[in-house]
Amino acid sequence: MPSWANGSGRLPEPEFIFLPLGGLRPMSQNGKTPLLQAENISLSFGGLNALIGISFEIHSGEILAIIGPNGAGKSSMLNVINGFYHPQVGTITYKGVTRHRMRPHEAAAKGIARTFQNIALFKGMSTLDNIMTGRNLKMRVNFLLQALHWGPARKEEIEHRKFVEGIIDFLEIQAIRGVPVGRLPYGLQKRVELGRALASEPDLLLLDEPMAGMNNEEKEDMCRFILDVNDEFGTTIALIEHDMGVVMDISHRVIVLDYGRKIAEGTPAEVRANQVVIDAYLGVSHD
Amino acid sequence: MIYRETGQFKSSYVSDQAIFPLSQDRWMVFSVMGVAFFVVPFVASEYWLQAVLIPFLVFSMATIGLNLLTGYAGQVSLGTGAFMAVGAYITYKITTNIPDIPILVVFLLAGLVAAGVGIIFGLPSLRIKGFYLAVATLAAQFFITWLFNKVGWFYNNNPSGTIIAPPRTMFGIMITGPEATAETRYLVGLAFVTFFALLAKNLVRGRIGRAWMAIRDMDIAAELMGIRPLQTKLLAFAISSFYCGLAGAMMVFLWLGSGETETFALDVSFQVLFMVIIGGLGSILGSFLGAAFITILPILLTNAPPMVGIVMPIALSKHLEEIIFGCLIIYFLVVEPNGLARLWQIAKEKLRRWPFPY
Amino acid sequence: MDLLYKIFINPFVEMIDGPIFFAEVIISGVLVGAMYSMVALGFVLIFKASGVFNFAQGALVLFAALTLVGLLELGFNLWVALVFTMGVMVLLAFLVERFMLRPLVNQEPIILFMATIGLNFALEGAGQIAWGSDVKKLDVGIPNQTFEIGGILLNSFDLWAAASGAILVVVLALFFHKTFIGRALRAVADDHQAAQSVGIPLKTIWVIVWSVAGLVALVAGIMWGSKSGVQFSLSLIALKALPVLILGGFTSVPGAIVGGLIIGVGEKVAEIYWGPLVGGAIENWFAYILALAFLLFRPQGLFGEVIIERV
Repeated sequence: MPSWANGSGRLPEPEFIFLPLGGLRPMSQNGKTPLLQAENISLSFGGLNALIGISFEIHSGEILAIIGPNGAGKSSMLNVINGFYHPQVGTITYKGVTRHRMRPHEAAAKGIARTFQNIALFKGMSTLDNIMTGRNLKMRVNFLLQALHWGPARKEEIEHRKFVEGIIDFLEIQAIRGVPVGRLPYGLQKRVELGRALASEPDLLLLDEPMAGMNNEEKEDMCRFILDVNDEFGTTIALIEHDMGVVMDISHRVIVLDYGRKIAEGTPAEVRANQVVIDAYLGVSHD
Repeated sequence: MIYRETGQFKSSYVSDQAIFPLSQDRWMVFSVMGVAFFVVPFVASEYWLQAVLIPFLVFSMATIGLNLLTGYAGQVSLGTGAFMAVGAYITYKITTNIPDIPILVVFLLAGLVAAGVGIIFGLPSLRIKGFYLAVATLAAQFFITWLFNKVGWFYNNNPSGTIIAPPRTMFGIMITGPEATAETRYLVGLAFVTFFALLAKNLVRGRIGRAWMAIRDMDIAAELMGIRPLQTKLLAFAISSFYCGLAGAMMVFLWLGSGETETFALDVSFQVLFMVIIGGLGSILGSFLGAAFITILPILLTNAPPMVGIVMPIALSKHLEEIIFGCLIIYFLVVEPNGLARLWQIAKEKLRRWPFPY
Repeated sequence: MDLLYKIFINPFVEMIDGPIFFAEVIISGVLVGAMYSMVALGFVLIFKASGVFNFAQGALVLFAALTLVGLLELGFNLWVALVFTMGVMVLLAFLVERFMLRPLVNQEPIILFMATIGLNFALEGAGQIAWGSDVKKLDVGIPNQTFEIGGILLNSFDLWAAASGAILVVVLALFFHKTFIGRALRAVADDHQAAQSVGIPLKTIWVIVWSVAGLVALVAGIMWGSKSGVQFSLSLIALKALPVLILGGFTSVPGAIVGGLIIGVGEKVAEIYWGPLVGGAIENWFAYILALAFLLFRPQGLFGEVIIERV
C-alpha cells in the first residue's frame, strides 16, 4: 500500500478506500529491461545541431539523470522523447515499439509524463483542477453525460477526485487545493507540476530541472518525493538537473551531454571520475 | 457576518463538488429562479418583457456560448453573429418546410447545424492561434451573412429577403409568431436558458472544461499531458456555436419576430464579445451579468436624459453609447479583467466579514 | 458541365479576349491594394513595437480624417489643419499610453487586443460626436483626372495615392532601420522589460509608435477620404486590412505591402470575373477566404518567421 494512500484528505469519506486505478506495477528495482531505447538521434533547427547521434537506454525502474552544461541539448532530448520535437535521424523504441513520428498527446497516452523547466502549469486553474487535468486521459464518459452531470459522469468525477486527493496528500499540498496556481510561490508550483504529472500514473516520468531555483529545504522535499515515487510505484524517472549533489545522491545512472553529443554514461561514481566530463564542465578548449 | 460558511462542513466529494457548495448561494439561486418563473410573468409589463427581459435571455444564451469558446477554451471569435444567423435561418427553413416538427425541437436541430458550421470554421484553429484565429473567424462572419443574403433558398425566395417567425404551437400554446404572448415567449426562453446554462456549468466543471482551460492557459503543456488540441478546440467551437445558434433562433422566433442578415451583423458579434468581457471571461454567472449589463445600459442611456430634462438626438445618444461602451471595456480590462463575476465574488467576501473590516 | 465551364474556363477566356480591360482590372486592384497596404502598415507598426494588435487602426483612420475635415470646415488653412490634426493624433497617443497601455503592461496579448476593440468604439463615437456623422467631402488638392496610356485608362488620383503609400513605406523603413529610435522600437518589441533595463524609456517609445501609427492613419484617411468622402465606413477599411495582415504576417512591413497588393488584385479579379456567378458582392469575404486558405499552408504568413516552440 503506497504511503500516500494512507493519508486522509481534508474531506474524509466514510468508505474512503484509495486504490490507484492502474494498479501497482511489479517493482523491478534498477532492472535491466530497457523501457526506452534511443538510437542515433540527431536533431537540428535550421543550421543549428541540437543533438548529434545520441544513443542511450532508459531501464525500467531506474532514476536516470541527464546532465551537461547549458545548451548541451538536455531539454531537446526530453522533447524528443515525448514527441514534441521530431528528430531528423534516429529511432526511439518505447516499450518494445519503434516509432518514427509521434504526437505529444500520443506519448502521454502511452504513459510518458513530464514537468517543465519553466513551469508550465495552467495558471488560471486551481491546484486541484491542475492535478485533475492529469487524470483526463483516464476519463471515458462522453460529453453528453458530462453535460448532464449524471450517473456515470458523476461517479467518474468522484473516483478521480479521490485519486487526486491521494496525490495531494502525498505531496503535502492540502492547504493550497483551491488556490489558483498563478498565485503560488515558485517551489509550490513545481510541486503542483509534479503532482499533475503523477496524476496520469506514468510509466516514464521526465523531470526537467525539478529543483531549479529552490532552496535547500525545498530541494530535500523534492528529492524525497522523487525517491518515493520511484520506490513505491517503480516509476521510471529521467531527470535533468544542475545540482550535482542531488544528481549524485538520487540517480542510479547518469548520462552526460555536451554540445549535442553524449560524452559519458555510467553510475554517478564513474561519471564523477571521468576526465572528459570534468573537462566539459571546467571548459577545456575543444581542439 | 451575513454571508458565513462557518459550520457548513463537506463530508463527501459530491457535496464539495456541487455547483453551489454554500447554502446561501443555493437559496439565492433558487429564489431568483422562483421569482423569474412564477412572479415575473405575472408582474412584468409587455414593455419590460419585450425590451429588457427577452433580449436579456437571448443574449445570455449567446454570451454563454461565446464564453465557452473564448473564456474557457481561449479561442477568440468574432463570428458569433454568423453562428446566430445559422440558428435563425435554419430554424426558419426547417419549420416552414416541415411545420409538424415541434418548434423547440427545430431550435435544437438548428443548433446542431450551427454546431456543424462552427466546426468547419473552427478547423483553422488547428494551425493558427490568437489574433490570426480571431481574424479567421471574421471570415465566417462575412461569408455566412453574405450567403444568407444572396442565396434565396435560405429565406424561401421571398421578395423582402427577411425571415418571419411563423405561428407555431406546442401543447396547444402559441409559442412563436405574432399571436404568441410576450409572457409565453419569455417563459420558453427562460426555460431554455436555465437548462442550457446548467449544462454549460456541468461541462466546464468536468473533464471537458479542464481540457478547455488547459488549452487556453498553456496549449503546449496541455498537449504533452495527453489533451488532443484539435478535438478539444473543435468541441469548443461546436458547443459554442450550438449555443449561439440557439440564441439566434431565440432572437428571431422568441424576441424580434423577424430577421434579416443585418440583424446578425458584425456589431452583434462585438456586442456579445463585450458581454463576455464585462461579465467575466470564464464564468457562467458572468455571462448573465454581462448580458444584463449591456442589455440594460442602452435603455438607461436613452431613458435617463429625458427624465432629467435633457433631450438628446438619437445619433448623439448612439455615439455616446459607443464611447461609454468602449471606455467601459478598457476600464474593465484594466481594473478587473475577470469582469463583473469577479466583482460579485469580492462583494461576497466583503459580506462574509461585514461589519468587520478583516 | 456548364457550371464547370463558367467557373474554370469562361473567366480566363474573358481575360484573354479583353486584355486592356483585364489590365485595367489588375491596375485598379493594385491601386486599391496599395491603400489596403497603408492601413495594414499602421497595424504592423504598432504590433512590431508594442506587441499590440491594434484593432482600432480603422477608427484611427476615421478619427484622423474627421478631425482634418472638421478643421478645414472651420476655415483653417490646409497646412495648419494638417499640423493640428497631427497634434491631435499625438495627444491621442499620449492618452492611449497613459490610460490603456501603461495599466495593461504585461497582460496577455489577447487582453490588449480586446482593449483596442474598446478603443475602436470609443474613437468612432468620439469622432462622430465631435465632427458629426454625415458624409463629408475632403479635398486636399490632389488632381483627379483620367488619362490613357497604351489604351489603358488611369486615374491620376490613384497614382498619387500609390505614390504617397510608397514614399511612406520608404520613410518608415529608414526610420525603423537607420535611426536610434527605430532600434529602440525594435528592442521594445522584442522584450520590453529587457529594453527598459538598458534604459530605453518605454512610455516615450509607445507614445512615438502610436503617434507614427496616427500619422499613417492620417495619410490613409486623406487618401480614402478624398476618394470616397469622409464617413463612418472609413473605419471599416480596417476590416479589409486584416486579411492583408494574415497574408503578409503581423510583423513584416514588406508583407503588409505585398499582402495588400495580392488582396487588392485578387479581390477585384474575383469580383469581376467570378462574382457574377454567385450574385456578386463577394468583395466582403473573398479576401478572408483567400487569406484563410493561404494560412493553412503557411501559418506564419508570407514573410513571418517560422516559430520554433520551446518548453
